[in-house]
Amino acid sequence: MSDLGASALGLAFFTALAGTVAGLLGGLRKDPTWASVARRAVHIHFALVTIAIACLFAAFATLDLQLEYVAAHASRNMAVPYRIAALWGGQAGSLLLWLWMLAGYGTAAVLVNRRNSGLLPWVCGMLLLNSAFFGLLLNFVSDPFAKLAPSQLLSDGAGLNPLLQHPVMMVHPLGLYLGLVGFAVPFAFAFAAMASGELGTAWMRTTRRWTLWAWFFLSLGIMLGGRWAYEVLGWGGYWAWDPVENASFMPWLAGTAYLHSVMVQEKRDMLKIWNLLLIGLTYTLCLFGTMLTRSGLVRSVHAFAQTEIFGILFLGYVVTIAALFFSLLIWRAPELRARHQLESVLSREAGFVVNNWLFLAFLGIVFWGTLFPKVSEWLTGTEVLIGPAWFNSLVGFVALPLLLLTGIGPLIAWRRASGSNLRRQFLWPAGAGLVAGGLAGALAGLRGGVFPLLVWSVSGFVVGTIVQEYVRAVRARMRHGENPVTAVATLLRKNQRRYGGYIVHLGVVFIFIGIAGAAFNEERLENMSPGDTVTMNGYRLEYKTALPIPAQHYGGAVARLALYEGDRGVATLTPERRVYWLEQQPASIPSVYSTLNEDLYVILTAVEPDGSATVKLYRNPLVNWIWIGGYTFVLGTLLIMWPHPTAGGRSRSAEE
Amino acid sequence: MSKGVQIAIGGALVVLLLGWYGASQVAETSFAYYQTLEEFRAHPEAATRAVRVHGYVAAGSIERDVEARQVSFSVQETPPHAGGATGTPMHVVYASLETPDLFKDGAEVVVEGRLGATGTFDATNVLAKCPSKFEGVEPGDERSNTAVSEGREPPGTSS
Repeated sequence: MSDLGASALGLAFFTALAGTVAGLLGGLRKDPTWASVARRAVHIHFALVTIAIACLFAAFATLDLQLEYVAAHASRNMAVPYRIAALWGGQAGSLLLWLWMLAGYGTAAVLVNRRNSGLLPWVCGMLLLNSAFFGLLLNFVSDPFAKLAPSQLLSDGAGLNPLLQHPVMMVHPLGLYLGLVGFAVPFAFAFAAMASGELGTAWMRTTRRWTLWAWFFLSLGIMLGGRWAYEVLGWGGYWAWDPVENASFMPWLAGTAYLHSVMVQEKRDMLKIWNLLLIGLTYTLCLFGTMLTRSGLVRSVHAFAQTEIFGILFLGYVVTIAALFFSLLIWRAPELRARHQLESVLSREAGFVVNNWLFLAFLGIVFWGTLFPKVSEWLTGTEVLIGPAWFNSLVGFVALPLLLLTGIGPLIAWRRASGSNLRRQFLWPAGAGLVAGGLAGALAGLRGGVFPLLVWSVSGFVVGTIVQEYVRAVRARMRHGENPVTAVATLLRKNQRRYGGYIVHLGVVFIFIGIAGAAFNEERLENMSPGDTVTMNGYRLEYKTALPIPAQHYGGAVARLALYEGDRGVATLTPERRVYWLEQQPASIPSVYSTLNEDLYVILTAVEPDGSATVKLYRNPLVNWIWIGGYTFVLGTLLIMWPHPTAGGRSRSAEE
Repeated sequence: MSKGVQIAIGGALVVLLLGWYGASQVAETSFAYYQTLEEFRAHPEAATRAVRVHGYVAAGSIERDVEARQVSFSVQETPPHAGGATGTPMHVVYASLETPDLFKDGAEVVVEGRLGATGTFDATNVLAKCPSKFEGVEPGDERSNTAVSEGREPPGTSS
């Protein structure tokens, strides 16, 4: 079985190489024969990689301990779903998963766009060039099918880090990869547009849904990662500006800027160079981020153990792909001059331009902070690590204006806004913002500083904008005899990007509301003997006892604490302190009492020799709104992507 | 001057301001990282700023005072079980009971804080290194494949 996988992987590499050449010939000579060879190579490549990954899945399912990779990442005591998910628990397997997704995207993109003869050979060539690199790594550097020598065989595998054996962790990497890899499709089409000289908006319109799809999964992956950190890592937070988090966040920032600026090109035929630049940057950052986490360049928990050659190869790959793309862009730049100029600073398109600048400034901050330790080491010899406080002190200055723009953008007309237009549009949302700010000030005061109050009033303003947009549009439809429900449905069908986009914005507002709540976080460390109580913001927590954990694969203690709100008992909290025997890995499992107002988050730090317990208490106000915002965000994106017979497939094929 | 250029100039000004502010914040929010005690002692500026120093907990040095809510211990250059010279250990006082999961005699730790006037290190945070299970260390791989686990941050915001 594993021999079949290894052979398929080898053939897949050569198919990708051959297909790259065929794509290049098909594109340069405009030769349909070579073009069809390239197209077939994409499909054959996908079939071969599918065989390879199926073999590896089978090896995990049957726990084939002959394979070094399986033995290092799975063990008998793991439940089968986790054992299968362990495939992407390490370097080689996750690279194979990456390649498989890339190949799958390639096949899907080629099938959907098979009549697009001008762009397609270049698209095939670019996608297969990327595949060839991963094929190279998998065949010659990081082989998932490498076998252990008979003397090294073990009776059981080493298993997966128990902290990773969590339902969210089965999905989070898939989401991230589907996102990061997915940007390859719009990137390849943008590349094809420049290479072939078909510089119109065809490449952009063709890949609109692909881009959204990739962006959707990247967003989902990032949010699930935060959720996992909050539930499993036991430090009371969800985001710490770790290099790995940043590595996935940077392409998200560039990709989000791109999603906004394409609308300016579609409406006003401006920003053509800019859009190509952004999609190039987005995909380059996807690869760069992957390199960061895999090459051990920056200190981080996710860093995979690495050989020197791997980092050098990967860097070479990122530089090659970026150089190819950006040199083409410079070459084509004279042909990409915009037909229109910005007419007024008070216009929707100017708003989009500012939005793009803010996203890139945000990206600049994250990029600089992530690489600062390396830069300082090169310059001074001392590695200076930047803490999360640095990021937190800066990002507010770009994040808050971005949130504000979310509310302003839809209110300003395209081209040039007039005074009366502004008055009519801003009255209600601005009022909503003032009310929200006043309410927040009355409830929370200035304890958390000015920033959260600003965030909450701007949130009120944005919600005001969204509600006003919906109410006006629904009223207009009701005048034509529709009832409110069908009116909303029609809006979401006829102009799904606009009205679905508002739902996405609403989700973002919720996320901001939740993040601002962190300014009011409280944490306390308490040493409690049985019967002791502590109070925190109206809650009373009584420590009852600590018991040993009766589990098979780990041991430790579970504390029982009764939680009262006033005199009413509301919950029993059971934070655990575990040690996983096989892996010798300790873990603190928090126990959380969660409401819309706040989370009470308890960690058992230690059971002292005298029977007392040292517990860490966190009160995290509004943190649930981050997850609610996440669900809203997902719903909004699905509304945008939902295929409607009129707006979706048919009109898209008409565009081709 | 086109409107695009106007916005670009405005944007550049904002970027400059942000850059200046960001640079001014680095000193307060960063830690210099030292791989060994010796390296830490060799850098004079290390005594005046927040640092992270890597070392090993000296055998038998941990005193956990639940009443006073503090943990004190000594950090030395090399692992205690390795034998050989350990160098002059550094005394560390950590005003918290929140020690990381893997904190024990001989543990590989990173202490975060400042050097006090008396030569005692005032730790604001103690991080323990543990072998990461994300991938096994390959023999001969010099880069120690370790992650950090402790209470206040996710494992690995440092090390």
